[in-house]
Amino acid sequence: MRKTKKWAALTVAASIMLTTAACGSNSNNGGDNNAAASNSPSTAANESQNTGGPKPELRALFRAGGDYNTDPIALMLQEKTGYTVKYDSLPTDKPEDKLNLLMASAEPYDIVTTNGDGGFKALYADYAKKGALVDLTPLIEKYGQNIKASVSQESLDAVKVDGKIYAIPTRTIEYVGVSLMIRKDWLDKLNLQVPTTLDELTHVLQEFKEKDPGGNGSNNTPMSIKGDTPMVDNIAGAFGIANEWNAVDGKLVPRAIDPAFKDYLTYMTDLYKQGLLDKEFAINKDATMKEKFTSGRAGVIPLHWADIPAIDDALKKNFPDAQYVYVPALKGKDGKAGLAQMDGFDRLTFIPKASKHPEDAIKWIDAKLEPETFKDLAIGVEGVHHTVQDGNYYPILPAFNDERSSGSNFVSGVDETNYPIYWQARVRKDDRLYAGFDFLNNQQPKEVDMPNLLGLAPYLPQYSADNAQLTQMANDYTVKVIVGGESLDKFDDYVAKFQKNGGEDSYNEVNEWYATVQK
Amino acid sequence: MMHIHKRTFSDWALDAFVYGFMIVLGLITLLPMVHVFATSVSAEWALLSGKVNLLPVGFQLDTLTKVFTSHVFVRAFGVSVFVTVVGTALSILLTAVTAYPLSKRHLPGVSYVMVLFVFTMLFNGGLIPNYLLIRQLHLIDTLWSLILPGMISVFNMLIIKSYYEGLPEALEESARIDGAKTYTILFRILLPLSMPVLATIALFYAVGFWNDYFNPMLYINDPALKTLQLHLRDVVMEVDSSNAINKSADDLMNMSPEGIRAATVVASTIPILLVYPFLQKYFIKGALVGSVKG
Repeated sequence: MRKTKKWAALTVAASIMLTTAACGSNSNNGGDNNAAASNSPSTAANESQNTGGPKPELRALFRAGGDYNTDPIALMLQEKTGYTVKYDSLPTDKPEDKLNLLMASAEPYDIVTTNGDGGFKALYADYAKKGALVDLTPLIEKYGQNIKASVSQESLDAVKVDGKIYAIPTRTIEYVGVSLMIRKDWLDKLNLQVPTTLDELTHVLQEFKEKDPGGNGSNNTPMSIKGDTPMVDNIAGAFGIANEWNAVDGKLVPRAIDPAFKDYLTYMTDLYKQGLLDKEFAINKDATMKEKFTSGRAGVIPLHWADIPAIDDALKKNFPDAQYVYVPALKGKDGKAGLAQMDGFDRLTFIPKASKHPEDAIKWIDAKLEPETFKDLAIGVEGVHHTVQDGNYYPILPAFNDERSSGSNFVSGVDETNYPIYWQARVRKDDRLYAGFDFLNNQQPKEVDMPNLLGLAPYLPQYSADNAQLTQMANDYTVKVIVGGESLDKFDDYVAKFQKNGGEDSYNEVNEWYATVQK
Repeated sequence: MMHIHKRTFSDWALDAFVYGFMIVLGLITLLPMVHVFATSVSAEWALLSGKVNLLPVGFQLDTLTKVFTSHVFVRAFGVSVFVTVVGTALSILLTAVTAYPLSKRHLPGVSYVMVLFVFTMLFNGGLIPNYLLIRQLHLIDTLWSLILPGMISVFNMLIIKSYYEGLPEALEESARIDGAKTYTILFRILLPLSMPVLATIALFYAVGFWNDYFNPMLYINDPALKTLQLHLRDVVMEVDSSNAINKSADDLMNMSPEGIRAATVVASTIPILLVYPFLQKYFIKGALVGSVKG
């Protein structure tokens, strides 16, 4: 009777208390949800005095990648910069949608760091144009000495929107990632040398097919590739079309309509007809292709050096005497050779207008680029995480892996001169990985490095809109031609279709930009 | 009453067909799970070479151990358990309490309130208004944003309501004669009686909370509050080919091996698999609730 009434009332009271407690603990008091302009953050207390009151807690939004709040790097940064930062992360799945939601509801993040690729470049340009981002140009002038010393003008120019800098770009390490990996023990068995030209490659593959050094019988696959990448690295470079867009006579030409593309198709079709290329390549996924290599059926596959350790383990388990090497940049008929080199931006860091502490945000970014702090962020402390020999950095395992492996997530802009050198400590983690990386990046002649020139372009709307479907069209066409489903006589029809569907507009737009960066 | 007649050929044929079909269907559902289990306990080199089908190759428990002891997994698991347990408990309590007065037809305004409830079943504000609502209630980045919005499912409430309506009036009347007030009747008499239906609804709620992926993705930003489904999605999506092109070298070097993905799936499924047999008894009984009157 009275007891049950009390009990019920207690439940109701408890739920109300719980709800209010939950509300109270949530420090986010996002005011009204007018996005964009109206929110000019009050910086009265945080004027240029560096002394002054305690540093405010900053809120950062990073892309997906584990719990940043408990990462040793976060703790180190807090000590060195003096700022406490609360990190949130975007989901792995459709992060652009979540980012849009957060920006539109004016969530007061101080720093947002996203990927630097196409989709996010577009979003960034969009936000900048709509006035949702803080113009960093004056802030960098005032507080960003380290930023100016570290980030090159070229990089900053690439992220300007309407002549103003709205983001700090994090430049990618320029490196060559992929080449053909070949079974050296098969070569040795047949007394063959590692191929150095396209003709030699064809010859080696023919020998693999006839002599079957792997003893695979009907499963023998001299070379295997995967269906979504019919433009094979290294081979494409031998035709002068190493990247998606290549410089030809002062203009950037997409390889899908490059005249050399026809020669590439002829070559690959020929390989397929002779049975030297995996008959099933069109349905091969990345994993399938690697399976064929590690289970000893395929003699050659395109491989990124990051994958080498795992492949090595699997291959050696199945065939303890197996050996593999990278094929160097193959020379085509005009002596052309090329390996695609990554370039562009890994990350873009910007400050939303809704931020409550934009000046402190820039100060934090600047503090991270202070030389000692930056080195610590990238490769840790000498003697604890890394050692130095002849100006090269070597990781100390396992400390390096445990405490600095997520370094690339915490950077907002890098010291573009030194970071590539520091970063090599990461590839020295595993000797086999380093051997592959070293071969492709240090031992190949410099002329074969073909940087991806489009990586440094600012946001190009026409190009971004059409790129995905044009690439798909080109890939589909390539696969069809190689398997013999379509004849090369119709090449011009295909080019016309490509141009009509946005190829021409993209070409014009890209070259308009390219003309401005040519010296 | 059994038909006793000789089994003709067509009987056998039909049986064979039905059995065959069901077996195939069962296998289609079962074999992929077996493959995932096998993947989670196989050695990495075997996975890369494509040697694992239904049986593990290079049996090892390291991957599973690594997942079970990884603090990110454990925390995500804990968050999911908290949300499910607290959510289900609150949901059942409030749904039952809501259903009770609505089952009393003689109360004034009952049908009007019912209309309001049913209205919410048909119309929904949509994604953005919901998000803004949660935001203005300051529930973003709290676990309550996962529990409160879905706490009373009108559909479940209607099930409980019709169950109460099916109980005889005489029961309550006699209780009142003995001096019981409303709360006593509800908590001491009706709730214990409706255990089967409550258990079923509790199971519906529990499964709903456990599997919910959308709400956490929308409302949770803090990595510490990620639910298990969110964590699982992150781990499995890591190798999605649509992301692959844009991976930097660092990402590629840090990518978790194949076994970890399968092991995370297994680690997330095992608890449900263990709990389910115990609840199955109620589930089957409860699913028949209301189907036969009297």
